[in-house]
Amino acid sequence: MLTGVKSLNRRNFLVTAAAAGTAACTGRPETPWRTLTADEATTLEAWCECLIPEDSDPGAKRAGVVRYIDIQLTRKFKRHRKAYSQAINALDKLAYAQNRGPFAALSFDERSLLLASFEKSENSKAFNMVLDHTLQGYFGSPRHGGNKDYASWRMLGVPPIPVRGRLQYSLLDPESNGGIS
Amino acid sequence: MKIAVILGLILFAAFLMVPAASFVYESGAPGACARCHEMAVPVDQWAGSAHRGVTCAKCHGDALTTDAQFHMTNARRVVEHNFGQVAERAQLRPGDVFAILQRCQNCHPQEYASWAAGPHSVKYEPLFLDKKHNSERHLMDDCLRCHGMHYAGGIRDLVTPLNNQGPWSFRDASMADKPAIPCLTCHAIHAHGNPLKGHVRKAGISRKEDVMTPSLAFWDRRARESVSVALLPLPAVHEGERPVKMSPDQRQALCYQCHAPLGNTQVRSGDDRTPVGVHEGLSCFACHDKHKQSTRASCANCHPKMSNCERDVETMDTTFFNKNSGHNVHFVKCADCHPKGIPAKKAKLERARQ
Repeated sequence: MLTGVKSLNRRNFLVTAAAAGTAACTGRPETPWRTLTADEATTLEAWCECLIPEDSDPGAKRAGVVRYIDIQLTRKFKRHRKAYSQAINALDKLAYAQNRGPFAALSFDERSLLLASFEKSENSKAFNMVLDHTLQGYFGSPRHGGNKDYASWRMLGVPPIPVRGRLQYSLLDPESNGGIS
Repeated sequence: MKIAVILGLILFAAFLMVPAASFVYESGAPGACARCHEMAVPVDQWAGSAHRGVTCAKCHGDALTTDAQFHMTNARRVVEHNFGQVAERAQLRPGDVFAILQRCQNCHPQEYASWAAGPHSVKYEPLFLDKKHNSERHLMDDCLRCHGMHYAGGIRDLVTPLNNQGPWSFRDASMADKPAIPCLTCHAIHAHGNPLKGHVRKAGISRKEDVMTPSLAFWDRRARESVSVALLPLPAVHEGERPVKMSPDQRQALCYQCHAPLGNTQVRSGDDRTPVGVHEGLSCFACHDKHKQSTRASCANCHPKMSNCERDVETMDTTFFNKNSGHNVHFVKCADCHPKGIPAKKAKLERARQ
């Protein structure tokens, strides 16, 4: 059995019962995303993949950058939630206006051209926000949701955990501390 | 009367709630556990792991688990979820890590027994309250990288006082008999891989032959996650300027996370045990048992009868035979016993053999 509380008092039981009831009523999530809609996630994946495309190493999509952004939109990036919706909508509108299709359906070259004009438009702030978050998700620690399987660190040759030895010093033997005082 | 009514209602609720919750989870298992977004990732990982045949409840408990803390944790998660305080990812608490240990034993009794008989089953007390160590060396957070890596706090939260005078004690006395290097230090239960039994049979590998189990991974205390052994680095170790020949056995990368050379990469520096001399190029696992770390009877793997010197290698003057020997078995060289060179008679025999 798991460790911890030894007894279950009335208050704890009521909280547990209420929460268990809530859990039982909670349905299966409709999308794998926490805050983004499925369409938003598809567009954002295509956007991020343009910023860091896949070559011999995984790109932003395979490195889980959108998962990172999606998780952080429920946490540190809560204040950017509206900005993301607006930016994704604006990009899709631009794609429809110029190419008569959603952004995610365009070819890589078409998407790159579109993003170049998007960056220079009044949406440059949103573009830079997504760029910043894409870089964070791609190069940051996997514990925050991105950089899946240490994709970028492997690309850079940075080990997930370096090999680090410890000096076997003794405080009683000044000779043993490798000259460290 | 009022209390009796409340108690009655509570009992009735409990009567309905437990089987109902049990039904909800077991009817949809294992997908039921993935109802929350934060649980989807570990459930997906588990579905591709060697342990996919073991249901969630077997290791984590279910609605009928009698441990109150288990249900309180689940309740807290649901409340936090509903209030939008969603964790980046679902993780085991340190207490759960120790509980999982017992569950590993249920299916892996032989491995558990070997681990329990070896040095890696050391408890917190002999490690952190050792008078000789604590008076000679500082206790520091980095100790927890390899000893007690699942402990959630820092060394200040664990031991007091942090000086070289002592007397030392644990802030939480219950930590004393907790295992400092439990199963989850070197194994990730949700790591990608095929169930081992089928894998061995399909590949046609002898049952005696060692295989790399897919769960091998090192628990990274900083990131609070297991890193697959395939992603861990094998260091380039040197003896002076000379690069030491290393075994390509990737499993050793686990060992090097703690038994590592210093930044100068010199063999024998820090806690390095990279073999040089007569045993250069051997993997740690060529001699050491995986769970017990014992090297007993390992010599016979390569020295079936007699050594090149026509002597029983197990009784030679090395640390294998006598811990106080000046010839560490990791680093022993021919010249250690033959400073003037290999005797002519032996050399002649050697040539004749070739």
